[in-house]
Amino acid sequence: MARFVGYVVKRVLNYIVMIFVATSLTYFLASAFMSPRSNYESRTPRPPQESIEWALDAANLNDKTPIMERYQKWIGDILTKGDFGKTPTGASVNHEISSRIGASVQLMLLATIISIVVGVSLGVYTAQRQYQWQDRFWSGVASLFMVIPTVVLAILIVFFAIEVNTATGTRIFYVTGLSSYSGSNFFIGLLDFLQHILLPTIVLTIISAVGYHLGQRTYLLNEMHADYVRTARAKGLTKKQAIRKHALRASLIPTAVSVAFSIAGIFTGAVMTEKIFAIHGLGEYFINCINNNNIHGAVAVAAFSGACTLVGALLADLFAAALDPRIKMS
Amino acid sequence: MAETTSTSTQTSWVAKDDTLRYELLENNGPKGAPEGDPIMSIRNLKVSFATEAGRVDAVRGVNFDLWRGRTLGIVGESGSGKSVTALSLIGLLDDNAHVTGSVKFDGEELVGKTDEEMAAFRGKSISMIFQDPLSALTPMFSIGDQLAETLLIHNPNMTNQQLHDRCIELLTMVGITNPEDRLDAYPHEFSGGMRQRVVIAIAIANDPDVIIADEPTTALDVTIQAQILDVLAVAQRETGAAVVLITHDLGVIAGTADDVLVMYAGRAVERASIDTIFDQPSHPYTMGLLGAVPKPHMAAEHRLVPIKGNPPSLAAIPKGCPFSPRCPMASGSCFEIEPTLDPFNAAEGHLVSCHKLATIRDRHLNFQDVYPELEPLPAKWAEVPRDQRPIVLEVKDLVKTFPVQGKGLIRRDKGTMTAVDHVSFKLHEGETLALVGESGSGKSTTLMQIMDLVKPESGSITVLGKDIATLKNNRERRELRRDLQVIFQDPMSSLDPRMPIYDVLAEPLRAQKWAPKDINKRIGELMHLVGINPDYVDRFPSQFSGGQRQRIAIARALATSPKILLLDEPIASLDVSIQAGIINLLEDLQVQLKISYLFVAHDLAVIRHISDSVAVMHLGKIVEQGDTEEVFTNPQDPYTQALLSAIPIPDPKIERTRERMVYQDGKLVSSSSLLSGHKG
Repeated sequence: MARFVGYVVKRVLNYIVMIFVATSLTYFLASAFMSPRSNYESRTPRPPQESIEWALDAANLNDKTPIMERYQKWIGDILTKGDFGKTPTGASVNHEISSRIGASVQLMLLATIISIVVGVSLGVYTAQRQYQWQDRFWSGVASLFMVIPTVVLAILIVFFAIEVNTATGTRIFYVTGLSSYSGSNFFIGLLDFLQHILLPTIVLTIISAVGYHLGQRTYLLNEMHADYVRTARAKGLTKKQAIRKHALRASLIPTAVSVAFSIAGIFTGAVMTEKIFAIHGLGEYFINCINNNNIHGAVAVAAFSGACTLVGALLADLFAAALDPRIKMS
Repeated sequence: MAETTSTSTQTSWVAKDDTLRYELLENNGPKGAPEGDPIMSIRNLKVSFATEAGRVDAVRGVNFDLWRGRTLGIVGESGSGKSVTALSLIGLLDDNAHVTGSVKFDGEELVGKTDEEMAAFRGKSISMIFQDPLSALTPMFSIGDQLAETLLIHNPNMTNQQLHDRCIELLTMVGITNPEDRLDAYPHEFSGGMRQRVVIAIAIANDPDVIIADEPTTALDVTIQAQILDVLAVAQRETGAAVVLITHDLGVIAGTADDVLVMYAGRAVERASIDTIFDQPSHPYTMGLLGAVPKPHMAAEHRLVPIKGNPPSLAAIPKGCPFSPRCPMASGSCFEIEPTLDPFNAAEGHLVSCHKLATIRDRHLNFQDVYPELEPLPAKWAEVPRDQRPIVLEVKDLVKTFPVQGKGLIRRDKGTMTAVDHVSFKLHEGETLALVGESGSGKSTTLMQIMDLVKPESGSITVLGKDIATLKNNRERRELRRDLQVIFQDPMSSLDPRMPIYDVLAEPLRAQKWAPKDINKRIGELMHLVGINPDYVDRFPSQFSGGQRQRIAIARALATSPKILLLDEPIASLDVSIQAGIINLLEDLQVQLKISYLFVAHDLAVIRHISDSVAVMHLGKIVEQGDTEEVFTNPQDPYTQALLSAIPIPDPKIERTRERMVYQDGKLVSSSSLLSGHKG
């Protein structure tokens, strides 16, 4: 156990160094390409020069200050106060991000769980019926959704939902935002939330379930023909039992690895889907940051995504070690 | 002890047909003729597969019976249908298999049963041991769990204590020491031999009536093979089961089987008691198989006689007798009508499927008569004694170590493992030196070190008088490489499948900057030299059989007229009847071209046949070195003695009386003392 804890601590320290380096590089890159000054200069009427300089200085975004000086102040605030800086308009990046993580989690959590369950089950189901019509049908559906870009799929679904709304004359589906009810009745609130979350969840589920389905199918097919499955059948298990008890576990190891990374993805949101459904999550925020020359916001999102990905990598290792005795944490 | 089957009081199910009648006469073996009712009856078994290449008839009408306590050996080469026969007994064929005929277990018809119905028989009445122990156990479950699962499937009411006790008992029975500690171990913590013991423990867990062993020792080293065969004998004694032993190795059959069925192209071509098969092989194919194998217990006197051609593809079985295209006796009706299994010697139940049966019997034809090309070994450059010829390769105190890393996610150096430990030997011109040893002995690493042509960690390698530590650059290395070529074990993977043979052979010449005109001429010579039609140069490797591919690999190695050939298990992946041809080719080439061979192999029979001197390696060291005959007839080192005693000899009478020795901590122990203590 002590060795295990030592192992995890060592990994986390490694990760912190990696994130520090990556984030610093992103900072320099973003500072070189983005110009918050233009936000002010392009306004009509153009604000007075002194107030532009003042606003940029206040946000620590003034390109007339040497880059190392800005970097020192920025990194110092992060390390001492956990403060990721300010937007060009002077708002707190910490505040903007924390309010948006919640929206992303609401959106992603359900979709991630459903897509794993649906994708893995379909993969197992079709692998056991390789080349039968069920397998061909579902693999065909999967290939179809794989080639449709997310944006197209989302817009198609929005289009159909609006058609249904128009046909029935009532608003069954909401196509923007996460809620529009502001009363205090819990059940009406829940229903309202479900009406909003349904469409983006369908989009996200479809695009990620396809990956799980095809992956799980391949992994299980590989293991199904392994010699040890034949040994299990020779012991007296039926083919189905042998696959369930022996092949499935081995085939879940690579799936578990991608599940671990998806868990990290729950917090970073989905860029395209959030934009289309006007959900104010982290994915949408990232795009807005880049559009608005919000250097500190963009770097903070990049740092947060990096941290989530590395946590995913650690989880992936832990999952694999839990499922496969050949991997030892020592 | 074999208890008499109490359930088979209803004797009526046994069909009293010719097959059974002749089988009951098979008495020329240690156990005499079979008695009582068989436990399993296989009649007119046919298995075909629908494949993309059309219908493949893997088994075409096989009949046999199994008796408790007896072992039936099924011998055949790849594609003979022996493994498919085994799998159809236990219902483990792929879904695209079409099985007809009858497989009866204690009166109950198994053909046509569903997977669920067969599951009740598998592991309980009929169990199976597979070829590759490394992949036969589920890597995610502990040994104890896998054993307990076998017991629980058929005895769901066993308590944990009963399960535990039975698992310990089983592991003890198959010779696993400290079974108590080993229950929680995972398969990857076991060696191949230990895993095969566990597989055997699983097979005998529910006291089966029939155990099918499909090439159970093929993937194992020779000393481990001997131990596993002993364990198999214990397993049979404890369960009293009928054993079906499937193998291509006639030595393995000689020591274990009571009755033998020789299969070729999906049919039985000969069937007899064990001693009869070896004393009086009467089908030309059986004769060829026995004759083509080098004998580990006799000095080589003759060239081997290869059976010409290749085993047939099951998708295109030749018309008439399937062996006719390869048979030296074939004529007339052999090419038209497929013969049936007829009595050769009715009194002994010896059956042979051959049109020339009468001729063979009346003239008492044996191997030498049927395969008349038996020639004495070509004189090997006899004018100069071996030790006076120049030395072409000298290895002195060669050392190679590998860092040992911890397994898992953090790799930490845990020290070093010495793979080659102060190895020294000399190779003279025109000499064949064999490096013998089991896996992990360092023989292949030694070969790789020589091939790399880089300065070794310690010690020296001198090739044709040049110390390779003095090579300054890659140009000098390339020049030396022209004289030093290598041939690998697997001709399937050592030839680039996307290169026609012309390019395969031209590549080493281009690397040595030959002119295109000379390359053309040289390729013609090479193809001729290894016995392949030079018109085939534009074909791809996949269009050739395994033996032909190995010939091409040899031609590639010979392209630059090397002085030394390094051969890494060059015939290990070939069928028995093909091996002889390659061995002969190597011998001929040596006489013609005066090349020296450094030969790495684990097959001691082949080594005795082909090599002039032998170096036995064990744990990175050479433990014994000398003239081949000297080492084989009068081994000094205990490890060599154990190794030699483990080789199965293709002669049942010798094999039965031999005492195997096991090497343990530098001492020799009799193998029977290791297992006999564990009784029930």
